[in-house]
Amino acid sequence: MAQSTAHRRLLQEYRALTNNPPEGITAGPVSEDDLLHWECLIQGPEGTPFEGGVFPAELKFPKDYPLAPPTMKFLADVFHPNVYPSGLVCISILHPPGDDPNHYEHASERWSPIQSVEKILISVMSMLAEPNDESPANVEAAKMWRERRDEYEKTVRDGVLRMLGL
Amino acid sequence: MSDEQISLPFFAIVLLVSGLIVRYLFFSGPRPERPPIRTAEQLIRSREVAVQRIQQMFPQVERRSILWDLQRNGGNIQSTTERILAGRLETPPITFQPPPLRTQSPPSGSSGPAAKQPEKPAQPDLITRYNLKSKVTEAPAAEDGGAQGEHDKKGKGWSSNREERQAALQRRRDEMILAARRKMEAKLAAEKAAQGSS
Repeated sequence: MAQSTAHRRLLQEYRALTNNPPEGITAGPVSEDDLLHWECLIQGPEGTPFEGGVFPAELKFPKDYPLAPPTMKFLADVFHPNVYPSGLVCISILHPPGDDPNHYEHASERWSPIQSVEKILISVMSMLAEPNDESPANVEAAKMWRERRDEYEKTVRDGVLRMLGL
Repeated sequence: MSDEQISLPFFAIVLLVSGLIVRYLFFSGPRPERPPIRTAEQLIRSREVAVQRIQQMFPQVERRSILWDLQRNGGNIQSTTERILAGRLETPPITFQPPPLRTQSPPSGSSGPAAKQPEKPAQPDLITRYNLKSKVTEAPAAEDGGAQGEHDKKGKGWSSNREERQAALQRRRDEMILAARRKMEAKLAAEKAAQGSS
Protein backbone atom coordinates (compact mmCIF):
# COMPACT_ATOMS: atom_id res chain seq x y z
CA MET A 1 0.00 0.00 0.00
CA ALA A 2 1.46 3.27 -1.04
CA GLN A 3 1.53 5.60 1.91
CA SER A 4 0.09 8.81 0.60
CA THR A 5 0.15 12.09 2.45
CA ALA A 6 -3.50 11.70 3.30
CA HIS A 7 -2.92 8.29 4.84
CA ARG A 8 0.05 9.38 6.86
CA ARG A 9 -1.72 12.42 8.14
CA LEU A 10 -4.92 10.55 9.00
CA LEU A 11 -3.04 7.84 10.83
CA GLN A 12 -1.22 10.49 12.79
CA GLU A 13 -4.48 12.21 13.69
CA TYR A 14 -6.07 8.91 14.63
CA ARG A 15 -3.15 8.22 16.92
CA ALA A 16 -3.41 11.61 18.58
CA LEU A 17 -7.16 11.20 19.07
CA THR A 18 -6.64 7.77 20.62
CA ASN A 19 -3.86 8.77 22.99
CA ASN A 20 -5.42 12.01 23.99
CA PRO A 21 -9.13 11.95 23.24
CA PRO A 22 -10.97 15.23 23.73
CA GLU A 23 -13.86 15.20 26.18
CA GLY A 24 -16.99 13.69 24.68
CA ILE A 25 -15.47 12.66 21.37
CA THR A 26 -14.61 9.26 19.98
CA ALA A 27 -13.35 9.08 16.43
CA GLY A 28 -11.50 6.71 14.18
CA PRO A 29 -11.62 4.94 10.84
CA VAL A 30 -14.38 2.41 10.33
CA SER A 31 -11.70 0.03 9.20
CA GLU A 32 -8.01 0.71 8.79
CA ASP A 33 -8.27 -0.68 5.28
CA ASP A 34 -9.85 2.60 4.30
CA LEU A 35 -8.48 5.50 6.27
CA LEU A 36 -10.55 7.94 4.24
CA HIS A 37 -13.75 6.85 5.93
CA TRP A 38 -14.17 7.59 9.62
CA GLU A 39 -16.97 7.29 12.06
CA CYS A 40 -17.21 9.34 15.19
CA LEU A 41 -19.41 9.91 18.18
CA ILE A 42 -20.04 13.34 19.59
CA GLN A 43 -21.56 13.99 22.95
CA GLY A 44 -24.24 16.65 23.16
CA PRO A 45 -22.84 19.70 24.94
CA GLU A 46 -24.01 20.27 28.48
CA GLY A 47 -26.49 22.98 29.21
CA THR A 48 -28.12 22.57 25.78
CA PRO A 49 -31.10 20.49 24.69
CA PHE A 50 -28.56 18.10 23.15
CA GLU A 51 -27.18 17.33 26.61
CA GLY A 52 -27.00 13.63 27.42
CA GLY A 53 -27.20 12.62 23.79
CA VAL A 54 -24.58 10.87 21.72
CA PHE A 55 -24.54 11.54 18.00
CA PRO A 56 -22.91 9.32 15.42
CA ALA A 57 -21.47 10.89 12.31
CA GLU A 58 -19.32 9.84 9.42
CA LEU A 59 -16.39 11.73 8.03
CA LYS A 60 -15.33 11.22 4.44
CA PHE A 61 -11.92 12.49 3.50
CA PRO A 62 -10.87 13.43 -0.03
CA LYS A 63 -7.77 11.87 -1.52
CA ASP A 64 -5.95 15.17 -1.30
CA TYR A 65 -6.64 15.62 2.41
CA PRO A 66 -5.46 17.77 4.21
CA LEU A 67 -5.53 20.21 1.31
CA ALA A 68 -9.27 19.78 0.93
CA PRO A 69 -11.66 19.35 3.85
CA PRO A 70 -13.62 16.21 4.63
CA THR A 71 -17.40 16.10 4.57
CA MET A 72 -19.28 15.30 7.70
CA LYS A 73 -22.68 13.68 7.88
CA PHE A 74 -24.67 12.77 10.94
CA LEU A 75 -25.88 9.19 10.87
CA ALA A 76 -28.87 10.11 12.97
CA ASP A 77 -31.63 12.64 12.86
CA VAL A 78 -30.15 15.83 14.18
CA PHE A 79 -32.68 18.61 14.20
CA HIS A 80 -30.47 21.66 13.99
CA PRO A 81 -30.41 24.82 11.84
CA ASN A 82 -26.98 24.01 10.41
CA VAL A 83 -27.57 20.35 9.65
CA TYR A 84 -29.32 19.42 6.42
CA PRO A 85 -32.21 16.99 6.78
CA SER A 86 -29.91 14.46 5.10
CA GLY A 87 -27.52 14.79 8.04
CA LEU A 88 -24.88 16.77 6.18
CA VAL A 89 -23.19 19.32 8.41
CA CYS A 90 -22.89 22.87 7.15
CA ILE A 91 -20.18 24.65 9.09
CA SER A 92 -17.48 27.06 7.98
CA ILE A 93 -14.53 24.88 8.99
CA LEU A 94 -15.71 22.26 6.49
CA HIS A 95 -15.79 24.71 3.62
CA PRO A 96 -12.96 24.75 1.08
CA PRO A 97 -10.11 27.14 1.73
CA GLY A 98 -10.08 30.70 0.50
CA ASP A 99 -12.47 33.55 0.98
CA ASP A 100 -16.18 33.08 0.88
CA PRO A 101 -17.53 34.67 -2.31
CA ASN A 102 -20.53 35.72 -0.28
CA HIS A 103 -18.40 37.28 2.45
CA TYR A 104 -20.20 35.41 5.16
CA GLU A 105 -17.06 33.83 6.50
CA HIS A 106 -13.46 34.84 6.90
CA ALA A 107 -10.76 32.74 5.30
CA SER A 108 -9.49 31.92 8.77
CA GLU A 109 -12.76 30.22 9.68
CA ARG A 110 -12.68 27.96 6.68
CA TRP A 111 -10.79 24.77 6.10
CA SER A 112 -7.04 24.86 5.85
CA PRO A 113 -4.44 22.12 6.30
CA ILE A 114 -3.60 23.40 9.76
CA GLN A 115 -7.08 22.41 10.93
CA SER A 116 -7.71 18.84 12.03
CA VAL A 117 -10.37 16.26 12.70
CA GLU A 118 -10.25 17.19 16.35
CA LYS A 119 -10.88 20.84 15.56
CA ILE A 120 -13.76 19.93 13.26
CA LEU A 121 -15.42 17.80 15.92
CA ILE A 122 -14.96 20.45 18.58
CA SER A 123 -16.41 23.05 16.20
CA VAL A 124 -19.38 20.82 15.52
CA MET A 125 -19.90 20.41 19.25
CA SER A 126 -20.01 24.14 19.75
CA MET A 127 -22.23 24.47 16.70
CA LEU A 128 -24.73 22.17 18.42
CA ALA A 129 -24.70 24.54 21.37
CA GLU A 130 -24.88 27.71 19.31
CA PRO A 131 -26.50 27.46 15.90
CA ASN A 132 -25.35 29.89 13.27
CA ASP A 133 -28.45 31.67 12.14
CA GLU A 134 -26.85 33.21 9.08
CA SER A 135 -26.88 30.30 6.70
CA PRO A 136 -29.47 27.75 7.73
CA ALA A 137 -29.23 24.30 6.19
CA ASN A 138 -32.48 23.18 7.74
CA VAL A 139 -34.95 26.01 7.31
CA GLU A 140 -37.61 24.37 9.39
CA ALA A 141 -35.24 23.96 12.32
CA ALA A 142 -33.87 27.48 11.89
CA LYS A 143 -37.33 28.95 11.92
CA MET A 144 -38.36 27.00 14.96
CA TRP A 145 -35.13 27.88 16.74
CA ARG A 146 -35.70 31.55 16.08
CA GLU A 147 -39.41 31.76 16.75
CA ARG A 148 -40.42 28.88 18.99
CA ARG A 149 -37.40 28.01 21.08
CA ASP A 150 -39.37 25.83 23.50
CA GLU A 151 -40.69 23.66 20.71
CA TYR A 152 -37.25 23.41 19.14
CA GLU A 153 -35.70 22.28 22.41
CA LYS A 154 -38.39 19.71 22.93
CA THR A 155 -37.93 18.32 19.42
CA VAL A 156 -34.21 18.03 20.02
CA ARG A 157 -34.70 16.36 23.40
CA ASP A 158 -37.13 13.85 21.91
CA GLY A 159 -34.56 13.09 19.24
CA VAL A 160 -31.91 12.48 21.90
CA LEU A 161 -34.13 9.99 23.71
CA ARG A 162 -35.04 8.22 20.48
CA MET A 163 -31.41 7.91 19.56
CA LEU A 164 -30.57 6.26 22.87
CA GLY A 165 -33.42 3.82 22.31
CA LEU A 166 -35.40 5.11 25.28
CA MET B 1 -82.08 5.47 -52.32
CA SER B 2 -78.97 3.39 -52.04
CA ASP B 3 -76.92 6.50 -52.61
CA GLU B 4 -78.50 8.19 -49.63
CA GLN B 5 -77.96 5.15 -47.42
CA ILE B 6 -74.23 5.22 -48.04
CA SER B 7 -73.76 8.94 -47.73
CA LEU B 8 -75.52 9.33 -44.36
CA PRO B 9 -73.08 7.30 -42.25
CA PHE B 10 -70.27 8.74 -44.32
CA PHE B 11 -71.51 12.21 -43.49
CA ALA B 12 -71.71 11.30 -39.84
CA ILE B 13 -68.10 10.13 -39.89
CA VAL B 14 -66.97 13.33 -41.58
CA LEU B 15 -68.77 15.32 -38.90
CA LEU B 16 -67.17 13.29 -36.15
CA VAL B 17 -63.67 13.64 -37.59
CA SER B 18 -64.00 17.36 -38.14
CA GLY B 19 -65.41 17.68 -34.64
CA LEU B 20 -62.35 15.89 -33.26
CA ILE B 21 -60.05 18.13 -35.28
CA VAL B 22 -61.73 21.24 -33.93
CA ARG B 23 -61.55 19.84 -30.42
CA TYR B 24 -57.90 19.04 -30.84
CA LEU B 25 -57.11 22.48 -32.19
CA PHE B 26 -58.99 24.27 -29.43
CA PHE B 27 -57.87 22.19 -26.49
CA SER B 28 -54.30 21.56 -27.49
CA GLY B 29 -53.68 25.30 -27.53
CA PRO B 30 -53.01 25.84 -23.85
CA ARG B 31 -51.12 22.59 -23.43
CA PRO B 32 -47.64 23.65 -24.54
CA GLU B 33 -47.73 26.44 -21.95
CA ARG B 34 -48.55 24.11 -19.16
CA PRO B 35 -45.56 21.78 -18.60
CA PRO B 36 -43.25 24.27 -16.85
CA ILE B 37 -45.90 24.99 -14.26
CA ARG B 38 -47.24 21.50 -13.98
CA THR B 39 -44.02 19.66 -13.18
CA ALA B 40 -42.06 21.40 -10.52
CA GLU B 41 -39.89 18.32 -10.51
CA GLN B 42 -38.84 18.88 -14.10
CA LEU B 43 -38.10 22.48 -13.34
CA ILE B 44 -35.85 21.52 -10.44
CA ARG B 45 -34.06 19.04 -12.64
CA SER B 46 -33.49 21.50 -15.43
CA ARG B 47 -32.25 24.05 -12.90
CA GLU B 48 -29.85 21.47 -11.53
CA VAL B 49 -28.48 20.88 -15.03
CA ALA B 50 -28.10 24.62 -15.51
CA VAL B 51 -26.29 24.96 -12.19
CA GLN B 52 -23.93 22.17 -13.14
CA ARG B 53 -23.14 23.82 -16.43
CA ILE B 54 -22.47 27.14 -14.75
CA GLN B 55 -20.41 25.58 -12.00
CA GLN B 56 -18.23 23.91 -14.60
CA MET B 57 -17.30 27.38 -15.78
CA PHE B 58 -17.22 29.00 -12.37
CA PRO B 59 -16.51 26.42 -9.70
CA GLN B 60 -15.95 29.14 -7.10
CA VAL B 61 -19.55 30.36 -7.27
CA GLU B 62 -21.85 28.75 -4.77
CA ARG B 63 -24.74 26.63 -5.92
CA ARG B 64 -27.14 28.64 -3.83
CA SER B 65 -26.22 31.93 -5.45
CA ILE B 66 -26.54 30.44 -8.90
CA LEU B 67 -29.94 28.98 -8.13
CA TRP B 68 -31.08 32.28 -6.73
CA ASP B 69 -30.04 34.14 -9.86
CA LEU B 70 -31.57 31.50 -12.13
CA GLN B 71 -34.79 31.70 -10.22
CA ARG B 72 -34.93 35.42 -10.65
CA ASN B 73 -34.23 35.45 -14.37
CA GLY B 74 -36.38 32.44 -15.16
CA GLY B 75 -33.60 29.94 -15.73
CA ASN B 76 -31.57 31.91 -18.25
CA ILE B 77 -28.06 30.46 -18.13
CA GLN B 78 -26.59 33.13 -20.35
CA SER B 79 -27.68 36.07 -18.30
CA THR B 80 -26.49 34.39 -15.10
CA THR B 81 -23.13 33.75 -16.75
CA GLU B 82 -22.88 37.36 -17.75
CA ARG B 83 -23.75 38.50 -14.28
CA ILE B 84 -21.06 36.28 -12.76
CA LEU B 85 -18.49 37.60 -15.26
CA ALA B 86 -19.47 41.15 -14.42
CA GLY B 87 -19.22 40.33 -10.73
CA ARG B 88 -22.76 41.39 -10.15
CA LEU B 89 -24.07 38.13 -8.78
CA GLU B 90 -26.16 38.90 -5.73
CA THR B 91 -26.05 37.13 -2.43
CA PRO B 92 -29.29 35.25 -1.92
CA PRO B 93 -31.30 36.15 1.16
CA ILE B 94 -31.11 33.67 4.00
CA THR B 95 -34.71 32.75 3.47
CA PHE B 96 -33.88 31.37 0.03
CA GLN B 97 -33.35 27.66 0.47
CA PRO B 98 -32.70 25.68 -2.70
CA PRO B 99 -33.72 22.03 -2.76
CA PRO B 100 -30.87 19.80 -1.61
CA LEU B 101 -28.76 18.17 -4.28
CA ARG B 102 -30.00 14.95 -5.84
CA THR B 103 -33.47 14.90 -4.42
CA GLN B 104 -34.54 11.30 -4.64
CA SER B 105 -38.10 12.01 -3.59
CA PRO B 106 -39.05 15.53 -4.60
CA PRO B 107 -41.66 16.87 -2.22
CA SER B 108 -44.85 16.69 -4.21
CA GLY B 109 -46.90 18.23 -1.45
CA SER B 110 -44.08 20.71 -0.86
CA SER B 111 -44.66 20.51 2.89
CA GLY B 112 -41.48 20.08 4.86
CA PRO B 113 -42.63 17.63 7.53
CA ALA B 114 -44.32 15.36 5.02
CA ALA B 115 -41.19 15.15 2.94
CA LYS B 116 -39.04 14.48 5.97
CA GLN B 117 -41.16 11.71 7.35
CA PRO B 118 -40.00 8.85 5.14
CA GLU B 119 -36.39 9.64 6.03
CA LYS B 120 -36.85 9.15 9.73
CA PRO B 121 -37.26 5.40 10.04
CA ALA B 122 -34.10 5.01 7.95
CA GLN B 123 -32.00 6.05 10.94
CA PRO B 124 -31.91 3.37 13.60
CA ASP B 125 -31.18 4.29 17.18
CA LEU B 126 -27.67 3.82 18.51
CA ILE B 127 -28.44 0.59 20.31
CA THR B 128 -29.60 -1.04 17.09
CA ARG B 129 -26.91 0.58 15.04
CA TYR B 130 -23.99 -0.69 17.08
CA ASN B 131 -25.61 -3.95 18.12
CA LEU B 132 -25.67 -3.15 21.79
CA LYS B 133 -28.95 -4.80 22.69
CA SER B 134 -27.29 -7.53 24.75
CA LYS B 135 -25.02 -5.07 26.52
CA VAL B 136 -27.83 -2.73 27.49
CA THR B 137 -29.33 -5.20 29.92
CA GLU B 138 -25.95 -6.24 31.24
CA ALA B 139 -25.05 -4.73 34.58
CA PRO B 140 -22.43 -2.02 34.29
CA ALA B 141 -20.10 -4.13 36.39
CA ALA B 142 -17.21 -3.75 34.04
CA GLU B 143 -17.04 -0.10 34.80
CA ASP B 144 -16.31 -0.31 38.47
CA GLY B 145 -14.43 -2.94 40.39
CA GLY B 146 -11.36 -4.89 39.51
CA ALA B 147 -11.81 -4.65 35.77
CA GLN B 148 -10.88 -1.00 35.88
CA GLY B 149 -7.13 -1.49 35.84
CA GLU B 150 -7.19 -3.84 32.94
CA HIS B 151 -9.56 -1.55 31.14
CA ASP B 152 -7.29 1.39 31.38
CA LYS B 153 -4.44 -0.57 29.98
CA LYS B 154 -6.42 -1.98 27.11
CA GLY B 155 -8.90 0.74 26.32
CA LYS B 156 -6.63 3.71 26.29
CA GLY B 157 -3.51 4.46 24.41
CA TRP B 158 -2.22 3.59 21.03
CA SER B 159 -1.55 -0.04 20.36
CA SER B 160 0.93 -1.09 17.74
CA ASN B 161 -1.40 -3.90 16.79
CA ARG B 162 -3.97 -3.01 14.20
CA GLU B 163 -6.67 -5.38 15.47
CA GLU B 164 -6.19 -4.20 19.03
CA ARG B 165 -6.57 -0.61 17.94
CA GLN B 166 -9.77 -1.44 16.14
CA ALA B 167 -11.14 -3.33 19.12
CA ALA B 168 -10.19 -0.54 21.51
CA LEU B 169 -11.93 2.02 19.35
CA GLN B 170 -15.07 -0.07 19.24
CA ARG B 171 -14.97 -0.56 22.98
CA ARG B 172 -14.67 3.16 23.56
CA ARG B 173 -17.57 3.76 21.22
CA ASP B 174 -19.79 1.19 22.92
CA GLU B 175 -18.94 2.49 26.36
CA MET B 176 -19.72 6.03 25.39
CA ILE B 177 -23.17 5.06 24.14
CA LEU B 178 -23.97 2.77 27.05
CA ALA B 179 -22.82 5.34 29.58
CA ALA B 180 -24.99 8.00 27.96
CA ARG B 181 -27.94 5.66 27.97
CA ARG B 182 -27.50 4.71 31.62
CA LYS B 183 -27.20 8.34 32.58
CA MET B 184 -30.31 9.26 30.64
CA GLU B 185 -32.22 6.34 32.12
CA ALA B 186 -31.29 7.48 35.60
CA LYS B 187 -32.33 11.01 34.76
CA LEU B 188 -35.70 9.87 33.42
CA ALA B 189 -36.26 7.74 36.49
CA ALA B 190 -35.43 10.67 38.75
CA GLU B 191 -37.81 12.90 36.84
CA LYS B 192 -40.54 10.33 37.12
CA ALA B 193 -39.98 9.98 40.84
CA ALA B 194 -40.09 13.74 41.28
CA GLN B 195 -43.33 13.91 39.35
CA GLY B 196 -44.83 11.07 41.35
CA SER B 197 -44.05 12.63 44.71
CA SER B 198 -45.27 16.10 43.88
